[in-house]
Amino acid sequence: MAELDIALIGAGGIARTHLPAWAALGARVRVYAPDPHTATLAHEFGATTADSLHDAISGADAVDICTPTDTHHDIALTAIAAGAHVLCEKPLALGAADAEEMADAADAAGVRLYPGHVVRYFPAYARLRAAVAGGELGRVAVARFTRTGRYPTWSRWFADPGRSGGILIDQMIHDLDIARWLFGEVIRVHAYQRGHFTAPAPAGAVATGGAVLTHEGGVISQVVGVWAPPATRFRTTFHVAGTGGTVRYDSLAAPGLRVTGTVAEEDGIPAGDFGESPYLTQIREFAEAFAGGPAPRVSARDGVAAVRIAEAAAHSARTGRAVELTATKEGTPT
Amino acid sequence: MRVAVLSFAHVHAATYVELLRDRDGIDLITADPDAPPGDATRGRALAERLGAPYADTWDEVFSLPLDAVVVCGENARHRPLVERAAAAGAHVLCEKPLATTEDDARAMIDACARAGVGLMTAYPVRFSPAFDALHRSLTDGSLGDLVSVHGTNNGTNPARIRGWFADPELAGGGAVMDHTVHLADLMDVLLHGEQATEVYAQANTVLEPDSPVETAGLVTVRYPSGAVATIDCSWSQPPAHPTWGGLTLTCVGERAIVEFDAFPRLLGGFDAINGRARWEPGGTDLDAAMLDEFLDAARTRRRPRPDGEAGLRSLRIVLAAYASLRTGRPAAVG
Repeated sequence: MAELDIALIGAGGIARTHLPAWAALGARVRVYAPDPHTATLAHEFGATTADSLHDAISGADAVDICTPTDTHHDIALTAIAAGAHVLCEKPLALGAADAEEMADAADAAGVRLYPGHVVRYFPAYARLRAAVAGGELGRVAVARFTRTGRYPTWSRWFADPGRSGGILIDQMIHDLDIARWLFGEVIRVHAYQRGHFTAPAPAGAVATGGAVLTHEGGVISQVVGVWAPPATRFRTTFHVAGTGGTVRYDSLAAPGLRVTGTVAEEDGIPAGDFGESPYLTQIREFAEAFAGGPAPRVSARDGVAAVRIAEAAAHSARTGRAVELTATKEGTPT
Repeated sequence: MRVAVLSFAHVHAATYVELLRDRDGIDLITADPDAPPGDATRGRALAERLGAPYADTWDEVFSLPLDAVVVCGENARHRPLVERAAAAGAHVLCEKPLATTEDDARAMIDACARAGVGLMTAYPVRFSPAFDALHRSLTDGSLGDLVSVHGTNNGTNPARIRGWFADPELAGGGAVMDHTVHLADLMDVLLHGEQATEVYAQANTVLEPDSPVETAGLVTVRYPSGAVATIDCSWSQPPAHPTWGGLTLTCVGERAIVEFDAFPRLLGGFDAINGRARWEPGGTDLDAAMLDEFLDAARTRRRPRPDGEAGLRSLRIVLAAYASLRTGRPAAVG
C-alpha cells in the first residue's frame, strides 16, 4: 500500500484509537484540533500537527474526522471539496439529510466516504455476520443487542442532544447498523429513551434507550443502550435465535485474561482482548480502499441508512409512535 | 387439607402434583377429564405414573370437600374451574395467564371474592430469593430510581408437548401470551402494582412457520411513573437444548445496574454420554416456594400474593400487546 497522507481532525477519545492504527499502517498523519492536548497526542503517536483545518486537509489523501457529530457534515464537505477521501466517525451526521448530502458529494467528487461503524470489525460481530449470512442460524426470527458503558461525561458534548443526538443516535447507532447489516432493511422502528439528556451531565448521570426494529424480511430485533453509573465496565452482548439455533455473546463472559486480585481498583495489568484492534482492522480496510483496493464491508450509504434508522428512533422516542420507514436509495445492505 | 390439581393441560401440572404428593398433611386428588382420550402424557395415565390419586370426572372431584385447588387447564378454560372451585369454598391457585380475556379474569376474581376464598395467580419467579434481593435494592435506595428494565423469558415452544399452546382460542395467543406475563408480574412487584399505560409489540412465526400463533415477540411496556420495560418473550430456545429456557431481568437504576437470573446455571460441562452440552440450572425451587405461599394463605384464610388482581394487571399488558400487534402501533392498556 502506498504511504498515505492523513489529516486527522479531532483530539478526543476516538482520535486516540485511530492514531495508533494509522501509525501501524505507516501513514503520515497530521492532526488538527482546537484542543490544547493536540500536540501531546500527535507526538505520542509520531504524528505532526496542523495549524488549521485548511492546512490539515490541504494535500491530504484522506481526512479522518474524529470530531463531535454536529461538525461532521461541514468538515466532510470541505474534505470532499478538496478531493480527499474521508473516514468519518459514526454517526455520519445528526440527520439523514445531512448524511445523504455527504454521501452524494463524495459520489459527485469521485472520492470515497466511509463511516466508522467499527463494530462490524469486532471479531464477535464479524463472525455473527458470517454465521447469519452463511445460513448457520437458519432463518433468523429474533435478536437482541445491548451496549453498556459509563455515561460519557469526559467530554461535554455527548450529553448535548444538539451535538451528539443523545444515546439513540450516538451510541445505539452501532447496534442499529449491525442489526440492519445482519437482517436487512428496517421498515418500522419504535424507541424510547430515559434519563439525563442535557449538558453538562453531572458525574453519576444515567441514560438508557431501547429500540425495536422490524426488518423487511420479517426478523424482529431489539437494541438497548445504557450510559451507566461511573464504575460500570464496558460491555456488549447479543443473542440471536433462528430455526438453526441460537448464538449468544457477552464481551465480559470469556476474556483472554481476567485480573481479579488487585490492591487498587485499577492495578495496571492489561486485561481483556488481545487480538488486533478492530480499529486497525477497520482502518486497514478503508486505507486499502482509498488506495484503489476492494470496497470495505461498510459503505457511505450504510452510514446514511444507520442515521436514518437512528433518526427515526429518536423521532419515535419523542412522539411515542412507531415510525414507518420506506425503501430509499441506500437499497439492500451490503 | 385436601388439595385438588384440576387438569393436566398445562406443562406445570406434573410439577405441582409431585410437590403436593410429597408434602405432609396434603390429601391430594387430581382430575384431567378433558384430556384427549388415549393421551399417555395426561389423564389417569399421568396420575398413575406420578402416584397421585385420580378422579375421572369434575363431578367426582367436586363431590369431595376441597380446601384448595390448583387450576392447570388451558388458558381459556380456567374460568369455569375457578368459578366452580370458588363455589365449593376452595382457595384457588390458577396457572398463568389468569385468563385470555379481561371479562373472564374479572369474573374469576369476583367469584372468589363472593365466596370468600383466595385467588392466587401462578407467578413463581417473584418467589426467588435473588429477585427479593433485587426488589430490596430498589426499596432501600441502593439501586436508585428505576430508569429502564430489560427482561427475557425464552423457552422451547410448549406446543411441541401440548398442542393447545398453539391454539389461538384455547391459549389466547402464543409466546406473547405465554411469557410476557412473568416479566410483567415482576414489574408489578417492583412498581407496587402500578398499572402499565401503553404497550408496543412486534412478533413473528419464523421459528415455526405453520404455527397459528406467534412464536417470537418483543414487547415494550410503559408505566405512568416513566419506567419502561422491554421484554423478549420468544419461544426461541431450541428443542434439543439441555434446558427448557430461562428468565432474566436487568434493572438499570440511577445508582446501579442489577441483573437477575431466575434459573442460573449451577453446572456446566459436556455430557459425553448423550453428546451434548451439560447445562444444569440451580437456584431455589420456585414452584415449591410459590406453593408454600398458596397453602399457607389457604390454611390461614389470608389473601395470597400474587392475587387475582395482579394476574389481571399483567393480563391487561398482554391484551394491549395483541392490540399493538394488530395495528403495528403502541396500544393503550385497559
